[in-house]
Amino acid sequence: MTEIVSYALQIILIVIAFAVVVHKRNFTIIILIATFGLVAASLYIMNKAPDVAIAEVAIGSAIIPLIYVISISRQREFIVLDRAQDGFIEYGHELSGEGYEILAEFVKLYDLSLNICVDIQGKEKSLINELNVDLIIARDLQTGAYILYGKSSSVLLSKLTTMVKDKPNIRVVKIKEDKRND
Amino acid sequence: MSPILTIIVILVGLYGLATSKNIIKSVFCVTIIESGLILLFLNLGNLEGGSIPILSGLVENIVDPIPQALMITTIVIGSTITALALMLCIKIFHHFGSIEWKEVLGREE
Repeated sequence: MTEIVSYALQIILIVIAFAVVVHKRNFTIIILIATFGLVAASLYIMNKAPDVAIAEVAIGSAIIPLIYVISISRQREFIVLDRAQDGFIEYGHELSGEGYEILAEFVKLYDLSLNICVDIQGKEKSLINELNVDLIIARDLQTGAYILYGKSSSVLLSKLTTMVKDKPNIRVVKIKEDKRND
Repeated sequence: MSPILTIIVILVGLYGLATSKNIIKSVFCVTIIESGLILLFLNLGNLEGGSIPILSGLVENIVDPIPQALMITTIVIGSTITALALMLCIKIFHHFGSIEWKEVLGREE
């Protein structure tokens, strides 16, 4: 009896592994990975290792899918820090303004999700290097032009640069990242 | 239960690693290979008709507990490897603008 059950679980495990390999959508694969962990845990019990099965249920079928969900949803986030705050992005009932329209079009084109934050103090160079910010909007006080700061290595920033090329009151400054030895 | 079926799980994971187009898909396949490896080790330490290695009173003919102790370590280390790989995926997306292997490897620089 135990033999038959363990062979059936083995075959279910192979089928789920093959489904993970051939499936296309990432969120469906996360559910399949959690199921894979549960079937694997019952096979560990069949192999007389209940302590390994406890660890697998806790880590393999709960924490690992959680890590996948968090990282896949955070991956397409574009974080913008607005330090101008004078109508480039209007914070009304709904977000609007000239800058918001440009950013919304950019985000829609590359399938990202926009995350705008305000009120973080510090110099632009150190903020880009230390925080996980993709774009900083600031205003040049003498000419009145808007300056967009970003990382020089980012491809998304060069795509944004080509989008705002023909707008005279916006210019993009690319900040080189520090070469650190860590 | 034969070790051949667990080796098939590892081979399915290797096939996915070789053919996947998406970087996150490759991380999924690494998780599958790790599970198959744990199953293979437990299978090799298993005795036919042996009992669970929890010594309460007189228990005879226990299975080998050393592969089980090693495999608990493997599960924990595998979860940290997954977290590290996914963090690198986010960095790659912000650097290259894509997480397809073809576009990331085909880019200049």
